Amino acid sequence: MSIVLGYDESPGARRALNYAIDLAKLLDDTLVLVYGAEPPSRMGEEFVEHFHAIAEQGRAALNHAVDKAHAAGVTTLVELVDEKPAQALLTSADKHDARLIVVGTYGESPLRGAMLGSTPHKLLHWSSRPVLCVPPPEEEEEE
Amino acid sequence: MATQSDGAQPQATLKPGAIGFVSSMVIGLASTSPAYSLAAIIGPMVALVGIYAPGALLASFVPMLLIASAFYYLNRVDSDCGTTFSWVTRAMGPWFGWLGGWAIGMTGVLVVGSLANVGVTYALLAFGADDLVENSWVVNGLTVALIIVMTAICVFGTELSAHFQDVLIIAQVLALLAFAGTALYGGLSGTSTESTELGDFVSTTPEISWLNPFGAGGAALTGALLLGVFAYWGWESAVNLNEETEGASSTPGRAAIASTFVLLVTYVGVAVAVVSYAGVDFLADNAEEEEAIFGILADQVMGGWSWVVLLAVSTSAIASTQTTIIPASRTGLSMARRHAMPKTLGHIHPRFRTPDVSTWTVAGIAIVWYLVIDAISENALFDSLTALSLLIAFYYGLTGIACAIYYRKELTKSAKNFILIGVGPVVGAILLFWLLIESIIDMSDPENSYTGVAWLGVGPPLVIGVGVFLFGVVFMIFWRIKDGRYWQEKPSVADPVLAAGGSHPTVTKDSGVDQ
Repeated sequence: MSIVLGYDESPGARRALNYAIDLAKLLDDTLVLVYGAEPPSRMGEEFVEHFHAIAEQGRAALNHAVDKAHAAGVTTLVELVDEKPAQALLTSADKHDARLIVVGTYGESPLRGAMLGSTPHKLLHWSSRPVLCVPPPEEEEEE
Repeated sequence: MATQSDGAQPQATLKPGAIGFVSSMVIGLASTSPAYSLAAIIGPMVALVGIYAPGALLASFVPMLLIASAFYYLNRVDSDCGTTFSWVTRAMGPWFGWLGGWAIGMTGVLVVGSLANVGVTYALLAFGADDLVENSWVVNGLTVALIIVMTAICVFGTELSAHFQDVLIIAQVLALLAFAGTALYGGLSGTSTESTELGDFVSTTPEISWLNPFGAGGAALTGALLLGVFAYWGWESAVNLNEETEGASSTPGRAAIASTFVLLVTYVGVAVAVVSYAGVDFLADNAEEEEAIFGILADQVMGGWSWVVLLAVSTSAIASTQTTIIPASRTGLSMARRHAMPKTLGHIHPRFRTPDVSTWTVAGIAIVWYLVIDAISENALFDSLTALSLLIAFYYGLTGIACAIYYRKELTKSAKNFILIGVGPVVGAILLFWLLIESIIDMSDPENSYTGVAWLGVGPPLVIGVGVFLFGVVFMIFWRIKDGRYWQEKPSVADPVLAAGGSHPTVTKDSGVDQ
């Protein structure tokens, strides 16, 4: 089995990475790092250029996470998916038969999350697998 | 061990089977925003060519159709959703490509103010707040606020659900057709012959000669055709979506034909109905009321139901601000990523994943432009739309020529290729460049404009159009000196496999660009 981690730029993401690495180690699972790179709007021109810009950003984020998982000795897979983040996580979770989906949260009010669009919120409703939401640390202490 | 799964190098292709018949028909209609376009151009157009407005609307569709063919074929060989900027660069080199990108970006930026203004004005009219429409502080304040809100929505990446959009556009077209039907009935039965405080309505029976595109002739005709180009602006995206639609062999073709038919019927129908109902004299007398003329007519024709038409215009304009801001900001992103613009425009917001710097830049320029043009122009709407049409004609024409050049090695492979990829787009481009040059000559004499206003001795739209263009040229030269990397790109030819409608199994479609 595997553990799927949505690794993006959210403040909770680093802490989520730590949890996911610990769990993968403990359960001897493969850690699947996922980044959904579909631009928010499919409409209109220069869509592909927009996609490339996001994918570039995603690759940089994932490389950082891979190094860390590597150092911890966890088997790691990387998935840069042409879908929106929540959908990308669900697709990868099915593909790798994930035990658990881990995501970082912004630790913000429900209303703000609803207005700005919240990946953990969508996952909690759509996922048929357990979802672990990791809030950002209260103080910027841990790394 | 870290293993790269095959998902690590994704293909940026649009998902097939995403859009059905109704939706792809709706996209063809929504991208032209018929209610807004009609509300914006019908007043000035009738003032220019009188009863021949329906004919001018028909005639301006011809170059549009030919250029749409260029968009379709260029789209097939270069990225699923490339634009004039990418295509012209590849076909004709960086200098032309940059200017094409500048023109397409600036048209998007400059129309936002007009869209928001119409959105606000017609919303106020729909809710019966007619007094506030006269108050320029209220209208300008709300317009700027609307631009900011819509930009924020674009940055957050929120989009209307596809179904809601379908409902909105269908309601829009139905409202317009209901308006046309009622007005035509009024015109035919003569019930519209009455006096109002603005002048006399004199109903006229429609004649087939109204459809004669050359009925007016001269400077009036070129002015009207240019506005017609504006009315169909965006229609090419209906053909561009073909790859994405269900059952790609028949559905998109039928949907494109259906949307075109609906669009033409709506435009010509409304134009005939308006002329028939109100009479040319009334429309010419009220030409300076262009911002509101459609609203005044709606009140007269629909009586208590006018809010239906007014609301349709308002929602059409507001929805269009979003469909305009996104492509404009993406053009900025694309140019920045290829070093043709400052790097910061290529910035992607980490959370929203939208080009936030580029989007806010679009909004900033749009607001400044709107306030400036409103302050210095007596016919802000007409002047900026006509100026925009000059830029649109320029980049459409450039795209038509780029298509034939890029495909030059494929043209002789079949008669179909020769006509649809070569002759058609080039004829379309020639028509548009002819229109462009003819308009420039006409506008150098301000007497030809029905407004008769002159800036620097020529018509205001010419000053605006040329000004925007020259500013682009200056910026381009500045950028060429500052950062020459984009100018390393070399023109190429269409990939023969993609041109024949095939695809490469593994190669990404944007070969030739240094990512």
